[in-house]
Amino acid sequence: MSKIDELNIKGFIVGAVSDVYDTMLSMEVEILASSITPKIGKNLIIGSVSFSGKAMGSVNIMMDLEYAFRMTSVMLDMNIDEIENEDAHDVVGEITNMVGGDLKSRLCDAGLTCELSIPTIISGGDFKIETVGWVRKERIAFRFENYDAIAFIYIK
Amino acid sequence: MALKILTVDDSKTIRMIVKKAFKPYDCELIEGENGVEGLSLAAKEKPDLIILDITMPVMNGIEMLEKLKAEHSLKNIPVIMLTAESGKQNVMQIVKMGVKDYMVKPFKGDQLIERATKIVQLELKKDDKISDPATAKCFLEDGGVHILDMPENIDRIKAVSIEEAVKGKAKEMNASGHEKFIIDLSKAGKISVVLVELIAKLVSTCKKSKIKARILCQSSMEQELKGFQETGDIPIDLSLKEAKEAF
Repeated sequence: MSKIDELNIKGFIVGAVSDVYDTMLSMEVEILASSITPKIGKNLIIGSVSFSGKAMGSVNIMMDLEYAFRMTSVMLDMNIDEIENEDAHDVVGEITNMVGGDLKSRLCDAGLTCELSIPTIISGGDFKIETVGWVRKERIAFRFENYDAIAFIYIK
Repeated sequence: MALKILTVDDSKTIRMIVKKAFKPYDCELIEGENGVEGLSLAAKEKPDLIILDITMPVMNGIEMLEKLKAEHSLKNIPVIMLTAESGKQNVMQIVKMGVKDYMVKPFKGDQLIERATKIVQLELKKDDKISDPATAKCFLEDGGVHILDMPENIDRIKAVSIEEAVKGKAKEMNASGHEKFIIDLSKAGKISVVLVELIAKLVSTCKKSKIKARILCQSSMEQELKGFQETGDIPIDLSLKEAKEAF
């Protein structure tokens, strides 16, 4: 069994997401059971950070743009109509950076030293993430108010 | 003279959170998007404090800090580092570089203020007027009764802003001979320590200005408020009509 297999990646991500929501949005996030299909719209936005070193991989957080606007509104105390796409993209990037930063720290503490990239944002219509060749793949869906988001984590 | 705070972060979100945190205080916020801009602004503005992110494009925070410490005229400017990485190695590296403090993201604005006050002396703005447009929108008047429509999710930053605004409102009410004030918690969401402390301060401000204050809230909140020493004695009503009639 490799070091990566021994790590509780899902637990790390759940902890990091809960901490980010509690601290930045003052709200509890509900982690959805894997049996529940998350409700994701068609106007998608994905925040992505990658890490490379002794561990390689990426953390991707996908949600509907409407969800991103709602989070931006709460986090920056702005009215929805004041928010530009760029603001929502920045918020999603920063949230992904915080979740990715937490995972990277835990990998480094486990001896899997690696460097974290700055976040990138992808937005568009109906698409999904598919990758191959990873030792660990995790998919965690979480709900905030009536909105769902999914975190995809790939590590090797 | 207002303190100068330089925030260097590639994320507009974080710069906005930093700006919002320092808003109630008498200080000027200067913003840079990367280490190169940060160094240039530090040399030009000689800030009293730098809030510096680590992971940034063009020049990261570590490199900027190294250059800052190598420059005689800038090396003594205190720096609080922001990082999304709480790993031991990362923290050790930051501490060794001579920063005054560091914060791991995510963080709340009031946590940043708590750290900053250990380094610089922050003073609240001495403006009693309701200068924050968002806070100004929270006040309504209905036939001589002034109502504070408490926003949801009160944090320490919002609490300071509302506290200052109510001081100004109390003066305004005294000048116009009005003496009835309702703190409407209908939108306030859940009861928090910050909210309870704020309510107690607002009622105290009203008492000092000889203004009668009542709380308007939902029944689910009433018992909770009665249970706190700070708010247990404040009269509570469950409808606006009831509150207005009770004065």
